[in-house]
Amino acid sequence: MSYNEPPNYGTPPPPPAGGYGYGGAPQGPPPNNNLVWAILTTLFCCLPLGVASIVFAAQVNGKWAAGDVAGANESAEKAKKFAIWSAIAGVVVIVLYIILIVVLGVASSSVDTDY
Amino acid sequence: MPTSSRSGGVVRPWLVAGVAAGALGVLATIDPNEPGHYPTCPFLATTGLWCPGCGSLRAMHALTRLDVATAWERNPLAVIAVPLLVAAWLRWLLDAHGSPRARRWHPTGIAPVVVWTGLVLVLAYWVARNVPGWTWLSPA
Repeated sequence: MSYNEPPNYGTPPPPPAGGYGYGGAPQGPPPNNNLVWAILTTLFCCLPLGVASIVFAAQVNGKWAAGDVAGANESAEKAKKFAIWSAIAGVVVIVLYIILIVVLGVASSSVDTDY
Repeated sequence: MPTSSRSGGVVRPWLVAGVAAGALGVLATIDPNEPGHYPTCPFLATTGLWCPGCGSLRAMHALTRLDVATAWERNPLAVIAVPLLVAAWLRWLLDAHGSPRARRWHPTGIAPVVVWTGLVLVLAYWVARNVPGWTWLSPA
């Protein structure tokens, strides 16, 4: 075997014409990762559900950066669903609290609030 | 009325700004430091432990009075999040106006390692707030 002609294993193939491919963000509008929703639910909704939203946001960014458009869209859809459900959960808690106040009336004024 | 085909037009950012201003108005007038005005954090109520969001209402109430020091004592991470949220809103507004630079700064373009680091930060913050004696991170 001659050392003068090394095999071509290490050379990457030329990138496709569109500039797509692995290791780079695809062109076109990226899906919404709902990172702002994640921050809002984590720090202002007082629901630890927001932590899961951050995981979804990181998944969207990771798949998008790797060129996985379908995967990024799928994770973005999950992130959106999760954001909606956590927002609904937050509203339900507030409504239940208001009902509780109305039902218990003045007697609830001693309720300890630490939010 | 100005309209834009992308990101649902320029109306939505201003709608969100209006809702945020309304919420801050309520927070400025109804003091969360007095008990009974707002619901207690469900996580705190059930476990007795601080969550990453505990104290954020009182922190925002302090910020409406430009009292950053008090806000920092209630929830430092929420105070840090405010300029990030304002920046995200500004980017959204510029994107709605069709700015190509705003499109390049899309939140989905943030490096995944940054988002994962943020997750670790929040989880570490959650634990650290509940370490006995470490009151500088919790509203206690």
